[in-house]
Amino acid sequence: MRARLAEAQSQLLVLAAMAAILATVPLWLHGSGRTVAIRVLISAGVGVGWNVMGGFAGQFSFGHAAYFGIGAYTGAYLLVSHGISPWIGMVVGAVLAAGFGALTGWLSFRYRLRGAYFALATFAFAEMLRLVVQAQGWLNATQGLQVPVRPESSWWMMQFSTTSPNYYFIGLALVVVLVAITILLVTSRRGMFIVAVREDEEGAAAAGVDGTANKVAAVALSGAMTAVMGTFFVQVFFFIDPELAFGPAESVAILLPAVIGGTGTIWGPVVGALILIPLGEWTAGIVRDPPAFLDAVAGRSGLDLVLFAILLILILLFLPKGVYGSLAHRWRR
Amino acid sequence: MRRTRFLAVGAALLLVASCGGDGTDGESETATDAASETGATTESGSAAATESGSATATETGGDATAAGCTELNIGSVHPLTGGLALDGTQMDDAAKMAAEDLSVDGLSITISSADSQGEPEIGQTEAQRLIQDGANALVGTYQSAVTTNLATLAQREQVPLVIDVAVDDAITSPDNDFVFRIQPNATAMGTFGAQYLAALGEASGEPVETVVYMHDETSFGTSVLAAFKAEASNVGIEILEEIAYNPFEVQDVTTEMQRVAAQEPDVLVVTGYYNDGVLVAETANSVQPNVRAIVGVAQGAYDLPQFPTDAPDASTGIFDSNYHFDATKERVQDIRSRFEEANGDAMRTAAVLAYQAVEVIATAAGQAASCDGADLAAAIQDVEVAEPLLTFPGPITFDDSGENENAQPVLMQVQEGEVVQVYPEEFAEAELTFPAVPWQE
Amino acid sequence: MSRTEATQTLRTRLDIPRWSWGVVVAVLVVVWRWAEVSELAASGPGRTIALQALLTGLLIGGVYGLVAMGLSLIFGVLEIINFAHGAFLTLAMYVTWLIATTTGIDPYLTLLITPVIMFVVGAAVQRVVISPAMGQPLENQLLLTFALAILIENALLLVFAANPRSVRIPWASAAIGPLDFPLRLGGAIIELPRILAFLGGLVIAGGLFAFLNRTRTGTAIRAVGLNPTGAALVGVPVGRIQVMTFGIGTAVAAAAGVLVLPFLTLEPTTGAQFNILSFVIVVLGGLGNVGGALVGGLLIGLTQELGGLLFPGQSKLLPVFIIFIATLFLKPEGLFGGGAE
Repeated sequence: MRARLAEAQSQLLVLAAMAAILATVPLWLHGSGRTVAIRVLISAGVGVGWNVMGGFAGQFSFGHAAYFGIGAYTGAYLLVSHGISPWIGMVVGAVLAAGFGALTGWLSFRYRLRGAYFALATFAFAEMLRLVVQAQGWLNATQGLQVPVRPESSWWMMQFSTTSPNYYFIGLALVVVLVAITILLVTSRRGMFIVAVREDEEGAAAAGVDGTANKVAAVALSGAMTAVMGTFFVQVFFFIDPELAFGPAESVAILLPAVIGGTGTIWGPVVGALILIPLGEWTAGIVRDPPAFLDAVAGRSGLDLVLFAILLILILLFLPKGVYGSLAHRWRR
Repeated sequence: MRRTRFLAVGAALLLVASCGGDGTDGESETATDAASETGATTESGSAAATESGSATATETGGDATAAGCTELNIGSVHPLTGGLALDGTQMDDAAKMAAEDLSVDGLSITISSADSQGEPEIGQTEAQRLIQDGANALVGTYQSAVTTNLATLAQREQVPLVIDVAVDDAITSPDNDFVFRIQPNATAMGTFGAQYLAALGEASGEPVETVVYMHDETSFGTSVLAAFKAEASNVGIEILEEIAYNPFEVQDVTTEMQRVAAQEPDVLVVTGYYNDGVLVAETANSVQPNVRAIVGVAQGAYDLPQFPTDAPDASTGIFDSNYHFDATKERVQDIRSRFEEANGDAMRTAAVLAYQAVEVIATAAGQAASCDGADLAAAIQDVEVAEPLLTFPGPITFDDSGENENAQPVLMQVQEGEVVQVYPEEFAEAELTFPAVPWQE
Repeated sequence: MSRTEATQTLRTRLDIPRWSWGVVVAVLVVVWRWAEVSELAASGPGRTIALQALLTGLLIGGVYGLVAMGLSLIFGVLEIINFAHGAFLTLAMYVTWLIATTTGIDPYLTLLITPVIMFVVGAAVQRVVISPAMGQPLENQLLLTFALAILIENALLLVFAANPRSVRIPWASAAIGPLDFPLRLGGAIIELPRILAFLGGLVIAGGLFAFLNRTRTGTAIRAVGLNPTGAALVGVPVGRIQVMTFGIGTAVAAAAGVLVLPFLTLEPTTGAQFNILSFVIVVLGGLGNVGGALVGGLLIGLTQELGGLLFPGQSKLLPVFIIFIATLFLKPEGLFGGGAE
């Protein structure tokens, strides 16, 4: 117990130090670079959320867009239709996402879905949400919801000028909170149970640990964490539609940082996001403004994504535990 | 500093213009450090005029009326990858071509391209990058979702966005002074579609009274349908049935076509994208419902020259009420032939719209106080682009919301393997044939 | 493994055969939607629509089944969620389009060429990209195939641009013998290319079934799917069999690509639309069960078409996902059990 406490303390210290360093980013990064930084934060946040379920609890989710979308739509709907602050929307969205996660998770575990089957079930749930939402007139159907631009900045309404660093600070704060939750979870009794169930469900059950309850708890928490970033996403980008919120592309975008960084590690998703988003920017930049030997391909559409895919494959093949996971593994040996 | 330099060049230009000189070259490399130097290094302008011009600029200083916009950088945001890459790349190429064509002495236009990948958040990041890198205005983006996002960004960054293609009504609003749209929006598309349909009936002596409406289930199809519906009741057209489908996954519409056949409407109306449009036409040709015509409203396939090639048997006689380049204008023919020479593919209307968007900004830049976003936006609000490249009944001017006041689609028909304009009269290339369905030949 | 366990526990709880629930649900839906059903049944045109929905559902379902077959084999034997399946399909269609337009031969003749090329491509992909990741967690494999899909789609975009292409066969609407195509059957329409795709699906399913059950290689493939460690112990070259399986799965996708090209419009993203449905069908039919995939495809095709009639205004996909979830929960081994396992 004491060792775990010490572990939690040291990890939280690392987190505090990192947060302090990252808080200086707006000082030297402006304009679109800052938008990229915010996208890194969003990617890290959803990855951290996914990681609780997909990494620590070992329940591979291929439909996390469901939670992201619930958070995004709850915040957007309350704001656009009722003028309610996104901070409240964020909380409501997290609760709804947790409820949805608990329900679908419980059903899936009740029917003993595992591995690929579980993954496909999560996927189907997300798709069903997308199809249901795009048929709802009160959610503006396929046209999606647009956040109204306010004449003045407002913390309460989470809206600032484009040059304001506040979006970045809010994103950073959210990610710090989510990582802190992960650290506290992993070092808690509950976290130990969750990991124990992942490693050996029958053994854990023999020791009196309720497998289903722990897994459902992980899914609910993971869903709530992801939903929070969904609400934030809408505030940053001012717009959400069913495809963007619940689409398969979003599900992949959510699990990418965790897998690339390293699943089941505290820092994996953050590292993954720090690699992925800049990597995408970099490949796009190369095609836009190629070095001399690549001149022939300048501006050819598709090339940047080809490059991105190749790099992704290389990372997955040569660092199968994720970039952070593989390095941490080697370090420990 | 930069601003004063622009002011100087602009003032020089104004003077040259008033003196009847043939203008100066205001490229950035020629305008170096100090404002007073600006005039000295021009290539074509008369030395006397530019010198006095720069003197004026130094005197008038910040007086905006004497300044202008000479170095215009336009950010072009389009889907260059993904399923919409074909139109996206064409539009980007067209914007670049327009910049080259419209750069004159005293106004250099450069295009910075960005790939939205069809994703709103990437579109926004890229647009922000362009603005940061000095884009004075944006054109784009072909998709309503991405455009909606950019419209908000334009307002917040105070940089004008001239929409080449995007149909959703909600993108523009009187509250947003930085967004302008050239093409007819969903409401205009649906409204004119219904009116043209009524005109078809009148011309044939037997009114069109009933239709079945097949449309894609995305916001595109549903919003055009809503506008069509509103106007249909005004012109005495009844919609017997609405049939929606998913345009990206649809592989067979035979059952849907049987539902059309069962209703026996006067006309089958279709709204959607390319692949599904071809599928609907081919299926109609197989099922042969008892209709007098198939009419697209803002249908993305039936106005393209490729359509009769892809569906030679199933395309004859099909109408489309859509935005279209004005095939009757010589200037348009010239642009399109040069584009095809340079890029290999026939220039689509979407690309012509991108060209037009750059022209709108370029024209406004000539009257703007500076290349500054707010000045440009104010100039675009007041601009009048005569001789539009599209089949608009008048010049391009923008209303309070930023909608083109003369945006209007044209009715086209596939005749002998070609898409030709048939209505209204002033744009007609050929006589319309109605009733007309592919299988009645 | 987990699935059999699940089955056993469930069996102790439910004694009535679970397929009977399907009948109950079908009856309930008909009662629920009686207004639509009776309206269709009342008039001649209504009956034509119903007949068309039935025929179209079967025909398009056959295509779904055909596309899903290769995926089922790969999923069943390698336990990989192959998200590149649709991209391979697209690639095969481009190969066919290229051959057909440059040489001018009938696109159906490329059935002899395209699958062979794609077998090599698939085998090479398994050898180079997938096999190093075989022991890794599910998400790594899924992302690998996902990255492959991005790679293939954008490479095609790079080479061929996004111009939609189509291959149409001139004899598709003509009289062949006593039959006049497109065929009219009680007012319903059947187009020749769709019949050919359907029949092709049947033939390929039969051939694949015979191959898996009657040949040594087929037996080895099934053995690897069942228990790779055990197969290795009795001397089956597991790695090579896996390479071959991926190759065959891709070749089947290629054959499907050839058969659907004459009635689809080809773009770099064309195949991707089949991915989701294919996974649904594979689960319905049972992993590695090629016959099951075909029947699963028919079921999904019919669900889409008839669902479209009974629930107008709803997305055709919604009932598909409802059936999918129900199958996952109630009969996770698929409607007919696993084939290769």
